[in-house]
Formats: sequence, C-alpha cells, structure tokens
Amino acid sequence: MSPLKNLEREYPIIDSNFQQFCASHGIFSVEDFLIHDLYTLAAYAEQNISSETLKEGITQVLSIMDDMHQPCLNGMELLEDAKRNKHFLPTGIQGIDLLLGGGICVGQLTELVGPSSSGKTQVCLQTASNVARNYMVLYLDTGNSFSPQRIAHFLGKTNELASAKAKDQILQKVMSNILCHSVFDIFGMFNVLHQLEYHLGHQDRGGGCQMRLLIVDSISLLIAPVLGGTSSQGRALMTSAGYLLKKLAHQHNLAVLVINHTVGGEGGTSKPALGESWKSIPHSRLLLSCDRGSNVYNVSILKHPSMVVTPDGVKSTGENVVDMTERNGLTAPRAHDLVCIPVPRPNNLLNVLEPVGKII
Amino acid sequence: MEIWRLPISASQRGKLISAGYTSLSSLSSISSSDLSRELKVSESEALDILKLASHSRGLEISSASCSVVEGAQNAWDMLHDEESLMHITTSSADLDNILSGGIHCKEVTEIGGVPGIGKTQLGIQIAVNVQIPHDFGGLGGKAIYIDTEGSFMVERAFQIAEACIEDMSEYNRFLRKDFQACEIRMHPKDILENIFYFRVCSYTEQIALINYLDKFISEHKDVKVVVVDSVTFHFRQDFDDMALRTRVLSGMALKLMKLAKKFSLAVVLLNQVTTKHTEGSFQLALALGDSWSHTCTSRIVLYWNGNERYAYIDKSPSLRSASAAYSVTARGIRNSSSSCKRIKMM
Repeated sequence: MSPLKNLEREYPIIDSNFQQFCASHGIFSVEDFLIHDLYTLAAYAEQNISSETLKEGITQVLSIMDDMHQPCLNGMELLEDAKRNKHFLPTGIQGIDLLLGGGICVGQLTELVGPSSSGKTQVCLQTASNVARNYMVLYLDTGNSFSPQRIAHFLGKTNELASAKAKDQILQKVMSNILCHSVFDIFGMFNVLHQLEYHLGHQDRGGGCQMRLLIVDSISLLIAPVLGGTSSQGRALMTSAGYLLKKLAHQHNLAVLVINHTVGGEGGTSKPALGESWKSIPHSRLLLSCDRGSNVYNVSILKHPSMVVTPDGVKSTGENVVDMTERNGLTAPRAHDLVCIPVPRPNNLLNVLEPVGKII
Repeated sequence: MEIWRLPISASQRGKLISAGYTSLSSLSSISSSDLSRELKVSESEALDILKLASHSRGLEISSASCSVVEGAQNAWDMLHDEESLMHITTSSADLDNILSGGIHCKEVTEIGGVPGIGKTQLGIQIAVNVQIPHDFGGLGGKAIYIDTEGSFMVERAFQIAEACIEDMSEYNRFLRKDFQACEIRMHPKDILENIFYFRVCSYTEQIALINYLDKFISEHKDVKVVVVDSVTFHFRQDFDDMALRTRVLSGMALKLMKLAKKFSLAVVLLNQVTTKHTEGSFQLALALGDSWSHTCTSRIVLYWNGNERYAYIDKSPSLRSASAAYSVTARGIRNSSSSCKRIKMM
C-alpha cells in the first residue's frame, strides 16, 4: 500500500491539503489509514475549514481499501466450488491412490517427505506423466532431476497395444503437456509463480488444456540457503512461499506437490526438514521410505485434512475406531461444544462520515 | 507483487517498508532521486532497487505474450535434446554400462567412498576422458579440477593421459584401418594443458571459486566438466555452526546445479565417508549429512567387496540401481580383471 502522495495522480481528491491534514495525524500511507481511528479522524475533518473535500478524500481512500480484500464466500458457494472443481488427481501409482482415497487433492498443497533416494522424484515423475494425459503440468526442477526418458518409459508401459506410430503420437501429445522449468534460488521461484499466477488469471477458459498440477522438486533445497541464521528473512520467505502455493492451488484449481527431505532429529530418528514453521503449511504430508534389502518402498500419511492418522499413544479399539479421549499430558481438558452468539455487525465504515457530534 | 519477493538485502527492505512502499506498484511512479532522498540511501542503490522492481514487472507483461512461464521447456523437446547429450566415459566398460554411457552432462554427480578406493583416480580419469575428441565418441572439451586436499598428482595425470592416447590409437588401428588421415595428433602435454587446476585452502576460498566459475566458464566455453576433489574437506573441521554449514553447502549446491544446466556440463563432486549411529549400529555413510545428500542429482558409492572395488548407483533419476566392479591400474580406471566379476542389478 503506497504512501498517500503517490495516489494523488490517480485520485486528484487526495491533494496536498488532504495529505497535510493526514500528516498532522501521523498518517502517511494507506496502511496508516487502516490502523487509525476513523471516527476521530472524521471528527477532526469536520472541524477543519475544507471539511467537505476532506470527507470526500477519506471516502475515496476507504473505497480504495474496499477493493483490496478478497471476496466473501458463504458455505454453499464453497460447497459448490468443491463439488465442481476440487477433484482428485490419480497419481497412477496404485498404492498411493488407494491410500489417499483417489489421488492427490486439487486445491491443496501435498508434501512428499523422505530420506535421500526413497523415490520422491520418481513419484512426482509418474504423477506428472499420469496427469499430463488430460491436463497440463508444470514441473519446477531445482536439482536437474527431471528425466524425460523416465516419463517416456512410464507412458510407454501403458500403451502396449497401440501401433508404433500411434504410440509416438500419444507420447508427443502427452509430453507436450508437461512444462519443465529450472529454478535455482527462491527468488527465481517467486518470479515463476508470479508469472504463472498472471497467466492463469488471464487465460481463456475452455481453450486448450487446463493446468492442473504444479510440482516443486524440491522446495527444501530452495529454502535451505536462506533458512536460519540471525535474520528471520528465511523463515518469512518460506512461509510466504507456502501461502503463495496454497493460494495458487485454491484459486486456480491446481494440485501442488512439493518435495522435502529429512534431517536427523533427536535420538537418531529422522524428521522432515524445514522445521516447525513449515509443518503446518502443507495440507497433507506423506512420508516415503525405502527398505533397501527387500527393495520395497513405503508410503505413510503424516497429516491429511480428511483422514484420521493414528498418532502414537492414542489407542485404537481395533474395529477401525480410534479413541480420541484426551489424557493427562495433552494440552487442554475436554473441549466444550461451540456456542454461537450472534453479535450485531458494526456500522458500515462509510457511515463514519455522518456528523457524530462536536468534539470540544 | 510484494516487496519481500525482490532479491534485496534486509536493511533495504526495512527502509522501503518503513517509508510506506509495500508493493511494486507503489515503486512504479517514483524517480530514483526521490527514492534515494526518502530512503536515505545512495542514488545508485535506489536505481538498482527500481531496476529490480521494473524487471519483475516486466516479466509480468512479457508473460502475456509468450508461453506460460518464460524459459520453460516442454518434455517432448527435452527428450530430443537429451538424446543428443553425450556422456563422459569412465574407461571401464562395466561402469559405463551401469551408467548407461558414462557420467551425464547437465547433472551434478556425487561420488563417495572410503579412503583409498580410487576417488581421486576416477576424478583424474574423468578430467582426461572429457578431452577425447568427437571422432572417438568423446566430448572434446576441457576440464576444471578443483583440488581441496592436495591429492592431484601431475605425474599420475600424465600417465593416465598417455594411456588414454595409446588406447585411442589402438581403437584407430582396429576399427578405422582405411582412415589413415585420422591420426592421433594429441600429445599427453595437450591433455594436461586443457585441465584447469585450482587449489583451494579454506572453505571461503571454495565458495569464492564456485562463485567465480560462472564468469570463468563464460570465457572458456569449451569446459565440459568440473571435478571437485573433495567437496567435504574444508567443511569437516573447524565448523562450529552447523546451521551455517547447511546454508553454505545448499547455496553452493544450487550454484553448481545452475552452472551444470546453463553451460551443459557435468559436475562431479567427490565426497568422503563418516560413521553414522543409527538404530544402535554404526554404519558408514557419506559425509556432510542428510541435507547434502539431498542436493545432488545422482550418487555413486564406491566400496570394497572382498578384494574387489565396486561402484554402486545409490541415487539417480533415470538409472536403475546396480553395481559393477572396476579396478585401478597403471593406465587408470579399467574393467576389473577378476574372473568372477558380474554386474548385479537390483
């Protein structure tokens, strides 16, 4: 939000008189306007000689602010949106699709965590090849591990009956739906996401393939050089990246898949990297592991918005019922039901400019 | 787009925000002299900030015209590009087999193993093999060898280069009997001339060198491989702050990835081993920790199996897990000569 003087060009009502008036109350930018008490400001404006123009100026700034917030949606609209847009994207890997009840969710941020060489990139490549049959995929690659060979291999396996020429055509069509871009630092990723946001906001609906999957391989490598240290800029960048990805997912109906790695925790167990601040950002987290001896790869759910994950220490009564009674040591005593009491809405801010009475 | 997405320093960002500029659009209509006066910074700094802001805005406008994201390539084109990429042979046919041709370009390959297994030998062999001319199936490029331990021996490199040239003449004689014109005009001296050698003595020198490589390789466009032997040495001792080490190593890995992609060269990092205490037992693992093991594109682990040296592909985006035997001879890295060797596919 810009300083008030920069708005003068577009909105001539915010002239130097108005700016001086605001400056006398310590308001220099639109942000300051927001946090100031508008009733007192209006009252002071009333006292001033050019009260009409000042009040018009205040109205103008308030209407600028009105344009800046997201639209409100009610529950029915959200449900409609969920039913129409937020489907599952099958990954093509039977075990994972079964575990997740269909695939990865559109509109959500899914994280794949695992130690090195546990198959994270392979899961992403297979998912990309599966989704690319019908939709566009954007693959952001930080470690030069995007392998078109592997994608061709995955696609070739399922087209055994077709002739060679048809196979080639299908291969070309599907592989043209996968876009791969290399990013090597976090600001590069922000640039790409910003361009993507702009493009998705302006693309014509119904023309060509829609983009449905965004893969970031891997986000932990991008954040690691800035995280930690004396300044908290790294953590701020990390949370901003997370929110931007979630916003893209929700507004443009994308499924976002990011890869994280594991580091050693206390006691020799491994835990996902990027720390506690990142833990709550992805909607679902999947832990991959590999048993080298038997060449078996495991997936387990660490967190999912619509599934109960049995944490350690919570008893399961054995009939697919998880006993969630809280015990000593957990945070709060049994929660009470939520009670909703309607509260009258505050008056519309624009009514502020009604004369409130003189201030002595 | 917000200010925090610009790559500027924290103090500049703080000044911009306290002056009220929190979005890029607010910077669109101000001149650099006004900005420098308001932020109390020098005019050149204000100019830099405005340039960054307009560049980010320019990206927004240009994306409207061309594809979804500037610089993205689709997988079909990449598949065809990949088919024309060459690999750097390791001079051991078994090893090349499991690597499907050799060390890949455009990738960062990490090679680790216990002391004495032949990591430096492999590094020198790769630095020599990258110079095999196109006629013989090589890349015909130059090599950069970054030595952190002082284990590069010029006499050994000379020996390996001589053996490589002898092998090329043999190949010439067997397969191209009628092409007398394709005689080898290379001398071991030429091969040594094409290896750019850097010796680093501390981790700051290592970081500075990697930052400088971008400029160096822009001037010497035919460099096709960068060998770092070893990447661990200066990061193991005297590093008290582990968080700093992780940050520095990740930054270095990203820069190397960028180099590999931008100039289509191969980056080979040699790593040492350490013991890890997991689940009550001590195991050998590559040094520098979990974060570092995540940063390379492919990893090859060298180990002893009885009396034999073996190489095992630990991580790769497109290769199968396999191990193969190799040996270190007077002529360099060659196939293992034992009779019971076999390639084990996982």
